[in-house]
Amino acid sequence: MFGLFKKSKDSQNGESTTEWYSELQENQQRWFAFLEKLEAKMEEFATAAIPELKEIMQSDDDIYKRTFHRVYSGVNGQLNNIREKARDVYEEKVHDVYYNLNSQISVLSKHHNLLSDFRSACSDRYNEFENKYDYWRKQIDKTQERDLETEYQKILDEYEAIKNKFNCTQCGGNIVIEKIFLIETYITCPYCQTQNTFAPSTLGRNLQNIARNLAEQRTAHLYEAYEAEKDKERDLYHQRHELSLSIIHEKDKKVLHEVQLKMDDLEEQRQFAIKNAPKLHQEYLRAMYDELNKITPDLKEHNEKMYQNQLQYL
Amino acid sequence: MEEKKVNSFLNRLKESAQKQTNYGGEMEITEAKINAKDCPNCGAGRAKQDGLTHCAYCGFEFLNIKLTDGVYIKKEDNSI
Repeated sequence: MFGLFKKSKDSQNGESTTEWYSELQENQQRWFAFLEKLEAKMEEFATAAIPELKEIMQSDDDIYKRTFHRVYSGVNGQLNNIREKARDVYEEKVHDVYYNLNSQISVLSKHHNLLSDFRSACSDRYNEFENKYDYWRKQIDKTQERDLETEYQKILDEYEAIKNKFNCTQCGGNIVIEKIFLIETYITCPYCQTQNTFAPSTLGRNLQNIARNLAEQRTAHLYEAYEAEKDKERDLYHQRHELSLSIIHEKDKKVLHEVQLKMDDLEEQRQFAIKNAPKLHQEYLRAMYDELNKITPDLKEHNEKMYQNQLQYL
Repeated sequence: MEEKKVNSFLNRLKESAQKQTNYGGEMEITEAKINAKDCPNCGAGRAKQDGLTHCAYCGFEFLNIKLTDGVYIKKEDNSI
């Protein structure tokens, strides 16, 4: 009695399947081809842009490297355009199509897996594209790096050269500049007590602009250690998850026990990583701010406030 | 063909970046220097112990603010 309904339902589904399935297949193929083209375009653009950016960084004589940053943001904008194109097409040709069909086809239908396969294949491919975008983005980011140690050394050299050079405007007595000043400062003549105004050079003032980046550059290894520890949590979780999937149909008690031990071990490592990552982060921050305080001792009070503030978000 | 397009885009980008003027005008590169300000009213020098805000002799106002503690200037630098 029920077979009657079943038969008609099946044949109905069978008909519509071919119709929407061919659409899905076509969409999937075109989506894959489209991303491939975009990736090629992205790669070509980035490989052409990176050497250019490096060259501009070298030749830009502006103290803030503004010409470089203009080109840099232009390049990033172009890369972003490519990414946006991919996102728009994904929304239209994958996301919308999936939800549209999903509302028509019952989850219980035996063809529903075709639909979900379509979506997961397309979104996996999309993730791959996003990873490539991230990769190129990072490569382009790297062109921003410059040798701050030599710039810092220049500032130190300049300070050495000028620190005994000045005389009091009133009495002519020698005035020693006792440290690298970042802004105009009153300096008292030790002989006649006159307030002299000392104006630091553009180079010297720039110290506070490069200080933070220099400190970060010097402690980059600690930051990397923290990042690595932070990523461990997910890695270990996935490893454990794979193991737990592998024993679903396992009957052998001995194997089960062994895998269970491995899983426990992974979980323990994972818990350790969760606890350890913030510690490493704090270690990095402390070292970085110590460096920063060394470079700009005058700003210590301000730096410590920033450090305390960052501690709240570990 | 493609190669050409990318390069011409980059060149145009570079050109317009170099042509663009900076907000706030040209950058001035200055050397470190030192100077002292005498009172423009009576010509007296300005000494540490008399404070920074007023001339110790004629009361001329150098700065019309009350100084607070900063990195280099302290609130003791106010003239009494």
